[in-house]
Amino acid sequence: MLDKNKVYVSQIGVLLLLIMSGTKILIFPALIAKQVGHDSWLVMVLSFVYDLVCLTFVLWAVKLNKQNLAFTDILHKTIGVVGSKVVLVIFFVLFVSRLISLLHSCYRMFAVTFDVNTNWVVFIIPLSLVSYFAAQRGFNSIARVGQLLVVIIVFSVLALVAFPLFQVNFSELLPIGEAGIDKIMEQSVTHSFWFSDYIFIYFLMDTIKVKKKIFSPVLCCFLLGAAISVVTNMVFVLLYGSLSPEAELAMIKIGLFSVSETTSGRWDWLTLSVWIISVVLKVVIFFFCANKCIEKLFGLHLSNTNGFVWLGITATLIVPLFVSVEEVLPTFIKWTIIPFALVQYLLPLLMPWWTKISNELSLSKKGAGI
Amino acid sequence: MKEQNILQQMQELYQSNDEAITRQIDCGIQITLMSLETMCDDKKISAFVLQPLVYLQEATSVQQVRLKISTGAIVKDITNVYTAVELFTNGYTLVFGADGAFAVDTRTTLGRAIIEPPTSMVMKGPREGFVEDLKVNITLLRKRLKTEHFKIVNATVGKYTNTSISVCYLQTIADQRIVDNIVQRLQNINIDGVLDSSYISKYLDPSRTVLFRRVGMTEKPDIAVAKMLEGRVCVVVDGSPMVLTLPYLYVEDLQSPSDYYENASITTLNRALRFISVVLSVLLPALYVCLQMYNYQIIPLKFLITILNATEAIPFSPMVEMMIVLIIFDILREANLRMPSAVGISLSLVGAIVLGDAAVKAGLIGAPAVMIGALSGIGLFTMPNNTFILSLLRIAITLIGGIMGILGVILSVVAILIYMVSLQNYQAPFLAPYAPNIPADKQDAVGQRPLTEQVERPRSIPNVNKRRRG
Repeated sequence: MLDKNKVYVSQIGVLLLLIMSGTKILIFPALIAKQVGHDSWLVMVLSFVYDLVCLTFVLWAVKLNKQNLAFTDILHKTIGVVGSKVVLVIFFVLFVSRLISLLHSCYRMFAVTFDVNTNWVVFIIPLSLVSYFAAQRGFNSIARVGQLLVVIIVFSVLALVAFPLFQVNFSELLPIGEAGIDKIMEQSVTHSFWFSDYIFIYFLMDTIKVKKKIFSPVLCCFLLGAAISVVTNMVFVLLYGSLSPEAELAMIKIGLFSVSETTSGRWDWLTLSVWIISVVLKVVIFFFCANKCIEKLFGLHLSNTNGFVWLGITATLIVPLFVSVEEVLPTFIKWTIIPFALVQYLLPLLMPWWTKISNELSLSKKGAGI
Repeated sequence: MKEQNILQQMQELYQSNDEAITRQIDCGIQITLMSLETMCDDKKISAFVLQPLVYLQEATSVQQVRLKISTGAIVKDITNVYTAVELFTNGYTLVFGADGAFAVDTRTTLGRAIIEPPTSMVMKGPREGFVEDLKVNITLLRKRLKTEHFKIVNATVGKYTNTSISVCYLQTIADQRIVDNIVQRLQNINIDGVLDSSYISKYLDPSRTVLFRRVGMTEKPDIAVAKMLEGRVCVVVDGSPMVLTLPYLYVEDLQSPSDYYENASITTLNRALRFISVVLSVLLPALYVCLQMYNYQIIPLKFLITILNATEAIPFSPMVEMMIVLIIFDILREANLRMPSAVGISLSLVGAIVLGDAAVKAGLIGAPAVMIGALSGIGLFTMPNNTFILSLLRIAITLIGGIMGILGVILSVVAILIYMVSLQNYQAPFLAPYAPNIPADKQDAVGQRPLTEQVERPRSIPNVNKRRRG
């Protein structure tokens, strides 16, 4: 276990809080508003409820992991080498596809907001380099940066949402569930791709320093993150009503509303710039996890993050150069929904059990002096 | 015989050195004295060695000479030629007989007076500063720490300079592992010469950090003692008025010597100002370039019109314009440091009036860029120990911001923060108590709580005694 990757439970909570918003307050609100109108916040709430249950199970697994076994060790001991490799492949595809969707929405945000129409490759290379550098310095560094910036990032989001929050009429969300409970539940399942940000915790299972309180810090951060995302979604839908499916980049539109009646310049872009740091952190974390998948898949024992592996992951991100993400992503999600759901929602439920078994196996091996 | 061998070797080593004085005295037994003229005090040699030897007529052994005649405060045994060379070059007078040898402290006390250090001027508080003499510096520390727990470990470093170094700490507060680690590192230093403590500081940073300094330095004994009371270790180097303190946290750069003699609220305000100044200094030029080149919509309309009016005739792009301002500023700063103080004032005037004003009037540089550059430059001096590094960072971020826009600035900031938070020296995280978050240590970080409420020692600094009192 590398010391530089050691993280505390509270740091996990902070990172989760920061990365939860990501695309959820950028392109997701418009996507979901297209399907269920003003009930989109209910889809989000429902998805967060699934996430909450799964996160609790993952944390339980972390607590049971007394032997500090790595995620892959747990998989090896319970579902065998082949099974674990299949899981890792699914995770790798999930991380890369989420990276692409995240980067793509960020790219569009920059193009729309800051009028920077740079090339896609030129856009992703600096982000990849920063991610590589961060991974080199250890996951602990990423967690500490999160701790350092959490207050100003959360404040920047709240600053954007605060003004419209008092301008909108919440009664316009009534009647609740107008789209129909079935449809809302269906949408929460079909859009599960955008959720379950807690999956990065799997790849830190052996390096998390467990203290007495493991559930409360992480769950509190999760609930705060979920609340921010849901409120932002509500504000967006209320501000733009039937136009919200066309508004696309929710956060920017909310910012635009906040400054529309002032002549003080687009100060919302500054707060947006601060918030982007959390998106950068999310990119870094997903890069880190994708890299871990590759290391474990090919049995690489790298003391440091390997540059070639990193280059390979970066190469996969050039996909948007050849295909339209807007067109391909829905089909891709449709095809991959079942394998992704397995690792997003089924695996967490099994993890405490598997962790317990693998820890007992490890302990008995140690006891036998093997 | 052994002593005679040492004497012979010493005479061979210094035979061509005119300042090495050898003298034979008969006081019942044959005694040979060796001293280094430039390092010894004649009066001390006369009082502590020669006079007693002259009055002692019938000595029978060197041991007897040592017991009866040595009125010197410090007398040390000579066991081998290396010890002899070290003592000899430090100003001791060597006394050789047929059956033994010893050295008497006759060091001369050359050096400047204790004055207020020019780098740490204070309005309130003690004005004493360290000097170049190790002994005086230790005295300044000892004067404030009248306790048996104040410990010193001595070492000698430098193949040719044989510089004396003292590692000082409070035994009941400092973590012994840290002390041992520092002593070990000092003993492992292989260097020709140590001319200042900054030579040693490079060796005490195991990770050889490129950008930020990792070893604290102070010229004030009250600060050194305050740091020792928090569990830090001080390294005093002979010939240097700068005492090193370890482990070192970045937040220490925000703290000024006078902070502890002021009201806590005023201190908090001052530190917050310093922090804001530093952030602005590093980011303001880059943000100005970004906003002007790519994201001018962020700037309020009236302000934007003013800027556009002031910059419309400038032949350079905002990035080039700002780079010119920053580089000119750095050239002036560097020249100002090297100039004698009287000429320095003239240089500042030339820089400010001739270069700045003339460049603006000639339409080469816009007034907003000069203002931003100047504000940023002045802000750097609120953290005087890091001026060069911060200046380098602001140039780099401005360049990246000019090429990549606001994304470049964001990525630069994230990369710098990742680098800073990953640094750790002697088990102390560089950005503590903020990353990692150590709430208890925030009593004296950017904010400061009144001294009466600071009950615990900082947890970010390894120590064995958590509470300051009680």
